Amino acid sequence: MIGRRGKWMIILYMAFLTVLFLMCSTDLIIREPEKEVYQIAVIIEDARDDNYGSFRKGMDQAAMELNADVHFITLYEKMDADQQMDLISREQQDGADALIIVPADADKVAGALTDGRVTVPAVIIGSEITGEKAAGTIGADYKNMGRQLAEAVMRDADETCQVLILEEPQKRSIMSRLFLEGIKEEFEECGRGWKSAAGQETSQGFWNLAKSLDSGGGQRLVILAETPELLTEAAGFLAENPEVLAAAEEKKPGEPQPEALPEEKESRMRDGIGEGVFESRGAVLGLYGRGSTLPALNYLDRGMIQGICVTDEYSIGYLSVDMAVRALEGDSSRNRLQTDSYYIEKEDLRKPEYEKLLFPVE
Amino acid sequence: MWRKMLLMLGACAVLTSCQGSQKEEQKTSIRIGISLYRSDDTFINNIRSQLEEKAKEYERRRGIKVILDIQDAKGSQNTQNNQAERFISLGCDVLCINPVDRMDATLIIDKAMTAQVPVVFFNRQPVEEDMDRWDQLYYVGVDAKETAVLQGRIVAELYGRQPEAVDLNGDGVVSYVLLEGESSHQDSLIRTEWSIQTLKDGKVPIEKIAGGIANWERSQASALMEQWLLAYPDTIELVVSNNDDMALGAIDALNRAGIEGMNVVGIDGTTPGLEALKNGKLLGTVCADKEIYAGAILELAASCALGEEPPEEYPLTDGTYYWAPQEIIVSEEGFLKEN
Repeated sequence: MIGRRGKWMIILYMAFLTVLFLMCSTDLIIREPEKEVYQIAVIIEDARDDNYGSFRKGMDQAAMELNADVHFITLYEKMDADQQMDLISREQQDGADALIIVPADADKVAGALTDGRVTVPAVIIGSEITGEKAAGTIGADYKNMGRQLAEAVMRDADETCQVLILEEPQKRSIMSRLFLEGIKEEFEECGRGWKSAAGQETSQGFWNLAKSLDSGGGQRLVILAETPELLTEAAGFLAENPEVLAAAEEKKPGEPQPEALPEEKESRMRDGIGEGVFESRGAVLGLYGRGSTLPALNYLDRGMIQGICVTDEYSIGYLSVDMAVRALEGDSSRNRLQTDSYYIEKEDLRKPEYEKLLFPVE
Repeated sequence: MWRKMLLMLGACAVLTSCQGSQKEEQKTSIRIGISLYRSDDTFINNIRSQLEEKAKEYERRRGIKVILDIQDAKGSQNTQNNQAERFISLGCDVLCINPVDRMDATLIIDKAMTAQVPVVFFNRQPVEEDMDRWDQLYYVGVDAKETAVLQGRIVAELYGRQPEAVDLNGDGVVSYVLLEGESSHQDSLIRTEWSIQTLKDGKVPIEKIAGGIANWERSQASALMEQWLLAYPDTIELVVSNNDDMALGAIDALNRAGIEGMNVVGIDGTTPGLEALKNGKLLGTVCADKEIYAGAILELAASCALGEEPPEEYPLTDGTYYWAPQEIIVSEEGFLKEN
């Protein structure tokens, strides 16, 4: 038989358990601060994300740390500015709290930022765009990067060496335009000439390009690629045709010789497709460009690429999300960030300071 | 009076449910969480690129926005479990999981079942007991036995036509080494068994010199091959590899040793593998149609997300498994041009 005191003890005990339950399982008593998850849409200018590997790692890291839900969106067609504008509208309608934009057309994005089409904070990558909703800009000094590369080329190749710039004029991003301007300005200031050619995407294209140049047999050539894609394509061409690399001719005794020309290539040479700069073995003294995609770094390691300019893309990815979150929280203290750029060669790949930059670990 | 009220309540309930289904039909965007066991695996990377392309195609065709959240589990099942949890908490409509450990998919399935989020596994098949737990679990992959038989046929048919092209030293025995994938992966066991069985069935007089697990990795295969070349000089005539990356590792070792003419066969038809095939370094490979493979994953995932029936163009075995078609691709020296 439970006494009156016992009954009260049971009631108190039950009440205590109820309070404990409410405290642990609900927010009726202790209200936990609500963590808002920010929806951030990243809209790039490209149809593929091949050049955004490190950027995405940084972006994902920031998303985890800063409680953001980040969507990475590519275009159907590279540099399709109209589609980018549609995507900007779509993402806002779908509830994006902030945007991170790599502009396909800087003017169109700038217009949208000022005329009210962009209603949420927008962080712009690689372009100095201002506007009411521009939360800030991040990127490297691409013009300076171009100058750095031109300087390196002039160090490696003397005046007798012809300079060929592979360009992609049809689908040029603002970053590429600035990079190219930097290269050309540096060459102009130093009185160095160059030839420009529209980039080729196939081996046949490169052979045709070679044919179109009239540098004559025997002249050495350095190639600069405007975009990371062109750099990788050109390096791939050199990897398939190592006999056109000057380094192949200068192999030390005992090293494996470059493979013999396959029949197909020989027939192309006979047909005159490969006439011009590539007609003699060892015509290409070096290939240079920008970007730190894994294929490009592999080609640099294998000697198909002599030097590349890189920037800290991981930090750009991280900081862009950080800047967007700060803007959403009303902090606009960091609205313009610029990352450093570096010129690296094969021997720099394994230096600790570049290793972190080129192969970031989340 | 009560009857009228009940009728009205019933009508309201019907209307509400209709409105719900209308909302379902009007879904204009789907979100798919994709976790890859390792994004530096060449085959997986190829599938990832195809998935992105297929998502764009789907968007254009159906007018439904497709958001792909792609994460790399970096070979850690724990990381992958966390990624699946995050995908669910972020409101993904469906998960596409390339399991790190096919024996350990239970936790992901538990979480998905609790949240009622369907899962499409791919490339690494979870055990049957797990797959049978829910009717919203699917698997997209290739039939490992078919892959292995096709790989064996590359060599067997070349031997049948031109024995000296395989038996390089003409001693009547084809000495081979075997590069195997992860021991825990169902495909590596089946590929090894049936590839060798097909060679035997094809009357190729084979003798195994050495074999080793290189975990699908080029660098590990290269190191193993280098050891074997030193241990068995002028003996190895054929390299049978469970995938292209390891075959390329063997080719790297052969190049370093300055050895030419040895036959190497792979599986997957990765971009670097096909490149090696074009250059005559790789005798042949078995290639899953990656476009169909990725298409099946995406279409299946999208249909799950929208609550539709699985797509008819990708017929499912037992309502759960889709086997992507495969083909043989060989170099100029090989017998078969294309299957």
